[in-house]
Amino acid sequence: MRKMLALALAGLVVACAGGGGRAFAGTNLLETGSTLLYPLMNLWVADYQKEHGDVQITTQGTGSGTGISQAIAGVAQIGASDAYLADAQMKNSPMLNIPLAISAQQINYNVPGLNNVHLNLSGPVLAGIYSGAIKTWDDAKIKAINKQYASKLPHLDIVPVHRADGSGDTFIFTQYLSKSTPSWSNGPGYGTTISWPSVSSAVGANGNPGMVQTCQNTKGCVAYVGVSFLDQAHKAGLGYAALQNKSGKFVLPTPQNVGAAAAALDKHTPQDERISLVFAPGANSYPIINYEYAIVNPKQQDGAKAAELKKFLDWALTKGQNSKYLGAVHFLPLPGSVVKMSQAQVNKIK
Amino acid sequence: MATMDMAARGDSAKVLSPAALQRIPAQLIFRVVTGIAALVTFGLIFVMLFFLVVYAYPAIRFNGLEFLTSSIWNIGNQYGSGVTTRNGFTGAPGASFGALVFIFGSIVSALLTMVISVPLSLAVALSLVYTVPRRIRPLANALVELMAGIPSVVYGLWGLVVLVPWIANAFGPFVTSKLGWIPFLGGQIGSGNGLIASVFILSLMVIPIMVATTRDVILSQSNSIFEASMALGSSSWQAMTRAVLPSVRAGVVASILLAFGRAIGETMAVLMVCGAAINVFPQNIFSPVNTIAAVIVSQLESALTDSTGMAQRSLAELACVLFVITLIINVIARGIMRGADRAEGRKS
Repeated sequence: MRKMLALALAGLVVACAGGGGRAFAGTNLLETGSTLLYPLMNLWVADYQKEHGDVQITTQGTGSGTGISQAIAGVAQIGASDAYLADAQMKNSPMLNIPLAISAQQINYNVPGLNNVHLNLSGPVLAGIYSGAIKTWDDAKIKAINKQYASKLPHLDIVPVHRADGSGDTFIFTQYLSKSTPSWSNGPGYGTTISWPSVSSAVGANGNPGMVQTCQNTKGCVAYVGVSFLDQAHKAGLGYAALQNKSGKFVLPTPQNVGAAAAALDKHTPQDERISLVFAPGANSYPIINYEYAIVNPKQQDGAKAAELKKFLDWALTKGQNSKYLGAVHFLPLPGSVVKMSQAQVNKIK
Repeated sequence: MATMDMAARGDSAKVLSPAALQRIPAQLIFRVVTGIAALVTFGLIFVMLFFLVVYAYPAIRFNGLEFLTSSIWNIGNQYGSGVTTRNGFTGAPGASFGALVFIFGSIVSALLTMVISVPLSLAVALSLVYTVPRRIRPLANALVELMAGIPSVVYGLWGLVVLVPWIANAFGPFVTSKLGWIPFLGGQIGSGNGLIASVFILSLMVIPIMVATTRDVILSQSNSIFEASMALGSSSWQAMTRAVLPSVRAGVVASILLAFGRAIGETMAVLMVCGAAINVFPQNIFSPVNTIAAVIVSQLESALTDSTGMAQRSLAELACVLFVITLIINVIARGIMRGADRAEGRKS
């Protein structure tokens, strides 16, 4: 709903900006895309504009797909995305994929009596749930990894909730299933939208708020939700799981565990920074984390805008990494070596 | 207009008087302007359909008949290598687009909506005209018109926050325990998002429209049919069902089809409560479903990132299907109206 409104507004804003009828004499930049990055962008832009009165940055939460396509079309200077571009897309339109922060995802569930503890879940068990092989919470496979709660697990139908709209959260969740479970990798695979297996109880929900709302309504639900909605999920009384990582350990999405996963992969990050951080190695690495990207066209049409764009991105990669911004949405700062790579990419903007 | 027409023709047959000369250009301008307006209306529909079909053409070739027979919707592996090629057109690897689930969802949710809303709307319209006390009537009419004007997202939001939990926690358990033996009324209730939630929301949205149009049709008939019937000794129930309703049949059918068109095309409210099923048909009235209109919105975001463009074009093909369904409904509506008109013409 907000997406549609934002789309309509995008057109309006573009029309206004192009019309030159504005009193504002400085440079206008447009950021649009990921709804996970949107709250952070608003915090950043508010402070940035206090220091830089000569630039006006408009932010929009329209969804990663819209952000990417509007950045490619040249409508927006920054397309915010939870997912990096695929090879095929890069071939069609070479864009910069610049990480700005590290995000994670929790697996929420609504199992009466067990929402105040952290059930253990693994990739293969979640793949079993989302493909309809595991149907109830007292299934032997769930009991096997939750021995301490085995007697408490109810005979309750599992309702797997997935995103109905295209989403970076679907992207990283299905990457976790693909990397941990060969049958999922060979079957549904991963993407911002996938062809979900035919499970009659499965429900599609819109956006992270819809995921939390549906899970709150539904006893027996399991849902993947972006970490910036951790507080809302907690308020809704949902539990969140400890996930099995590559080393076989069950870990919670604490800043330490998310940071451990990011540290495990910073050296593997290639120059173009398109890499999945999901299912990272390391004893304490939380398995579902990702870079939040700014998708930027390296060849900007307007020189003045390009200069302001570089300034803003550079600020986001330095002062913007402060925990007063990132902590508010449960994001983590980029490791130092990754900041350097991102800065190198920003310098390619012309 | 008819008299003016005749006058103009009669005058021009004789010698043109100055008054007639003045009249002809006005007549001409009027005809040209209305003609253009009619052409634009017709042309717009044609142009829209034309561009939609042209845009969807690669998808029509890529998907073939499978589009209408398959229930698997898969935009393909966007991050995989290679492409899937069919009939010379390419999609992402593994892409295959079958719309059966969505076509089924659209038609079934609209039909069930009619089952609930037609009898209710007729009852409300008749009572607004004949039985509601005169003092309350303006207020009741205003309420109906207000309901018809509420934006659909408002209904959707109410549905998500109030109706869906009510279905999951109260209505669903009640129906499955008491009426579960009836096919499609038993089984899993799930989250409450699903077919019955969509149908309830759609009914709320189309009932005011149907009431308003049916009420106007009944009002346009003179009161004499009702009064004559009553004078002949029928009860008010008999007068309404045997005398009034048959006399306004064509208008009622038209309003039903108008409502059906609205129900099958509604997007946001349905998207918010339908449960967005994919690749699976509903098992009962509580199961998640999906409709053509809702799936176009929810899939667009990811389709935009499909580098082959086939996902976008397949959504356009879905739009074509919705267009065709709506067109068929309109043609049927016109046929029924004409048939009814002719039948009435013979009678009188």
